[in-house]
Amino acid sequence: MAENWRGECSNPNAKTLVPGKQDDSSKKNKKKKETGSQFEFCTVCNLNHDQGQRHKYFPSHKKSLSACLSRFESKLADVRFFLRNPAALRPEHASRNRFWCIFCDVDVEELGSSFACSNAINHLSSVDHLKSLKHFMWKYGGGMDRLDSFRILDADVTKWRKKCATLKKEAALSEDRCHGPLSGLSNDIHREPNIGIVDHFEDNYTVYPLKSSILNGVTPLQYNTNEQQILYPEIAGGPNAGSLPTKLVSSNASLHSADDSNGVEGNVHSGAAPPWLDSSEHSLVDYNIKSFSVNVASHSNKLEKSRKLNPKRVGAAWAEKRKIEMELEKRGEIAKKECDSGWLPNFGRVWQSGSRKESRREFEMEKQTLLKKETESEISKEIQPYISKRIRKDAAE
Amino acid sequence: MSYVLTTLTKKREVDSVIRDTIDKVLVLRFGRASDAECMQLDDILAKSAREVSKFATVALVDIDSEDVQVYVKYFDITLTPSSVFFFNAHHMKMDCGTADHTKWIGAFRRKQDFIDVVEANYRGAMKGKLIVNCPLPPERIPRYQLLYKDM
Repeated sequence: MAENWRGECSNPNAKTLVPGKQDDSSKKNKKKKETGSQFEFCTVCNLNHDQGQRHKYFPSHKKSLSACLSRFESKLADVRFFLRNPAALRPEHASRNRFWCIFCDVDVEELGSSFACSNAINHLSSVDHLKSLKHFMWKYGGGMDRLDSFRILDADVTKWRKKCATLKKEAALSEDRCHGPLSGLSNDIHREPNIGIVDHFEDNYTVYPLKSSILNGVTPLQYNTNEQQILYPEIAGGPNAGSLPTKLVSSNASLHSADDSNGVEGNVHSGAAPPWLDSSEHSLVDYNIKSFSVNVASHSNKLEKSRKLNPKRVGAAWAEKRKIEMELEKRGEIAKKECDSGWLPNFGRVWQSGSRKESRREFEMEKQTLLKKETESEISKEIQPYISKRIRKDAAE
Repeated sequence: MSYVLTTLTKKREVDSVIRDTIDKVLVLRFGRASDAECMQLDDILAKSAREVSKFATVALVDIDSEDVQVYVKYFDITLTPSSVFFFNAHHMKMDCGTADHTKWIGAFRRKQDFIDVVEANYRGAMKGKLIVNCPLPPERIPRYQLLYKDM
């Protein structure tokens, strides 16, 4: 038994355990011999196992592997987007663009890159990455036919590089065309945030030339919408390309509001117009948005409150309905309904069998019988004046 | 006393109170304000109404009013004062160890008793229970005998 345990055993107590095991039946000994390999760590399942090569075929491992790979693929989807549509990378967003490559066990950061995901693209197309990718797939049984979905082919990379080069040229041209004298000023303003960020990055961080940071509205990986995509080429060639940040704000207020979710300019919570709406449409939309936002705010407050209230509480459905009714009545949309005189609340009577509706029905029936009795008694009770016998006799005669 | 609490004399008023009290326990006292035990109960209700105001509303209903006789019959009110508990227009029953679970008959000994009873009702209602157990010990629950008609 002891010879099956190699020197590098993750279980330090193995040697002390083994002598005890020798006393067990021969079946257990045989089992030990079969598995008998050292403990390995499976990064996919995040556990130590001694099943050796068999582990990668177990269903639990297969599940975790597919989950892992699909997660990585979704991250790559973002990178691929920027591969097809290269856009300049602003320094503030650089920290958001990094990702962890599970095959190489390395963190790919976007330092010193002028274009979004350029480091990532370079990494994914490199030979080292391919090697580690193959090793990973062999070790964890990923399926060698899917290799290409986790790397970027050379042809694509060259295309991307060409696009980047053309973008750079365009930016340089546009920058030369306008705002030459102002570039000095705007450089300073642009450099302020850069100086702030320098502290965070350890490696050689270079301050970007104006042209790349001016290619504005460059959003981090999160914003992949087509609207953003459409806006980029417009702005890259536009006259506002070299403007000051304040102008950027005013002319590209829409983009800024898209960038920062808690921006000063306006956001969903403050009721600002969404960026895809033109300024011409603002007036029409504003009123609707304001009224809607007010509704949303008040409704969200109510929603929060009702979320706290137990939905299983007594009469919950009735309460919700009634609240809405009262809200509408307040606003005057629905005239106050005078509840009919026959309305009775849900009441369980003393001698009640069955549901409470039955008690109400019983009561209604009782009411009806009572009414009948009363009317009958009224009919029978006709008060007649007293006529004396003598007068009656006379009348009869 | 009963100047603090609203006294209802018409069925419509009672209906609106029941329908408008949402997510709060509604305590409807049926009784005569001139009756001694009723006065005692009213005193306790008036003093504690503010303290339970966040989760309960208290209202007084005059039994002698004709409009309300429907409710007097519907709720089987015979002994006064009787307090009926509602939550979101649903009637809350309470098991006090007495014969009648549908209402509370008599007055409360202390303010705290009343608050405890209302709290028990509220907690049960929030959990979705239509009948709750009375938190008071038996010595503090007024005893009475129900004489049944047609039995």
